[in-house]
Amino acid sequence: MEAEMNCNNLPNFLSSFVDTFVDFCVAGIFLPDPPSPPLFQTSFPSPDRLIAIGDLHGDLLKSKQALRLAGLIDSNDRWSGGSSTLVQVGDVLDRGGQEIKILYFLEKLKREAVKSGGNVITMNGNHEIMNVDGDFRFVTPSGLDEFTNWADWFCIGNNIKRLCDGSEKPRDLYDGIPSSFPRVKQEYAKGFRSRIAALRPQGPIATRFLSKNLTVVVVGESVFVHGGVLPNHVVYGLERINEEVRDWIIGLKDKVASSLVRGRNSLVWMRKFSNEVAKDCDCSMLEHVLSTIPGARRMIMGHTIQEGGINGVCGNTAIRIDVGMSEGCINGLPEVLEINEKSGAVKIRILTANPVYQNKNDSGEIKEGIGLLIPQQVQVEA
Amino acid sequence: MGQDQSKPTDSPVPIPKRSESESEPKPESESSTPPSMESLLAEATAYGNKDKDLSMEEKAQKALECPCIQNLRSGPCGSQFSDAFLCFLMSTAEEKGSECVIPFVALQRCIQTNPNAFPKDVLENDDVAKEEKKKPVEDYKIIPPRSRVQQSERVVFNNLVSEPSC
Repeated sequence: MEAEMNCNNLPNFLSSFVDTFVDFCVAGIFLPDPPSPPLFQTSFPSPDRLIAIGDLHGDLLKSKQALRLAGLIDSNDRWSGGSSTLVQVGDVLDRGGQEIKILYFLEKLKREAVKSGGNVITMNGNHEIMNVDGDFRFVTPSGLDEFTNWADWFCIGNNIKRLCDGSEKPRDLYDGIPSSFPRVKQEYAKGFRSRIAALRPQGPIATRFLSKNLTVVVVGESVFVHGGVLPNHVVYGLERINEEVRDWIIGLKDKVASSLVRGRNSLVWMRKFSNEVAKDCDCSMLEHVLSTIPGARRMIMGHTIQEGGINGVCGNTAIRIDVGMSEGCINGLPEVLEINEKSGAVKIRILTANPVYQNKNDSGEIKEGIGLLIPQQVQVEA
Repeated sequence: MGQDQSKPTDSPVPIPKRSESESEPKPESESSTPPSMESLLAEATAYGNKDKDLSMEEKAQKALECPCIQNLRSGPCGSQFSDAFLCFLMSTAEEKGSECVIPFVALQRCIQTNPNAFPKDVLENDDVAKEEKKKPVEDYKIIPPRSRVQQSERVVFNNLVSEPSC
């Protein structure tokens, strides 16, 4: 707070107090200042160390375990990844009750990471898109509770701001949202109202968190996407895809093309390269896609649960990292992918909490392109 | 999962109409609206010159005297508000406010016990409040989960917002 405080600008101070207080009530954390200008780019150079983490689905505890496994957070939950880059491939929402808390936590890590030269990239999965669309088929009762609680505090915050003359009058959170819904028990209506308010285009949670997500991103030699990238998406333009999805989320554009984010051939829904049965993966199509993205050598995807853990097919050009770790999925053991492509030879490892791999400590590193990826067990702190 | 999705509504975000009425000045509420611009400016100038010699705490204490937050400082959670706001204003931590867990928790608990500690309607006249309740809603379609949250019979769609707004 650089400016001198006086009664004229007090509403600004009050407003930032209220925001901090509401964040604390909703997520129990204090956020550091945001980086400026905000990062929104589609390709990044190879970082010193790259970590990819799969679908989180409302399970904060598992999310933290995975991040700790990767050495990206310390025992106080602060960023300890230095100049590493983290990519989370989407599906933070649905199937669990700590969706907002994960969004906040990733936001906190983003801000902390930037300060130590690192980077946290978050992405849209099909469940982010569904929620912005009002498709709540995978919402849980605890997920409704978390959004109700958020909305309550958000409104109390708005009321406090409005009680101080001079604060801008915020638009009604529930503007245009009905009070009941067909086929929904009235006891859950408030939860759905809150969820719509938060996540619809222009909604506070959509704008604050989801609008910063990328839908496809290239980091060094790796293309990250929730479902997969097809040739027509490359032709459409990866940067354009990211911008159009973002503009829809922030309400700048009314629509976003369904070929991008809805339907079985969209970037966030497709399973062509993530099918658990290796022979069902379209390796030649993948090869073609990768050849049209400059510098790309592999695609890293979430979306399809890999019961056997993170794995690669098509000569490790398709790496599938959704291990269904959320309790709302298969409660899978946390695993993350680590890529180090800085010093010439590319090293890809799977860091896993699975005790089966306990004795294979240093044999985990393998050279890109040789056989299977070998998981390496890392102790997860309780 | 896996099914194709079609977008429920084209534009679920209604911006117009209401914003007009909001941005227009409301003559009758003028008298109930605390201090005018002039008095605020006068306040500010009065503080302005002396400020440099004041400590952080004294500045924050002075800020608490500003008219616009007197409403907030009265009422059931007034003292908790004052403590939390004062702490925040004086915070020098990188995560601003992070030293304020104790007063924040106190304010949080007080609001939980007194949900109407900071009512939104204090400064508004009744007409405005009533008008807000008549706002039409969009034909909002959502797809609820199949399980517990659904009820068997269809509920008649209520086309007016009767829920409290925010």
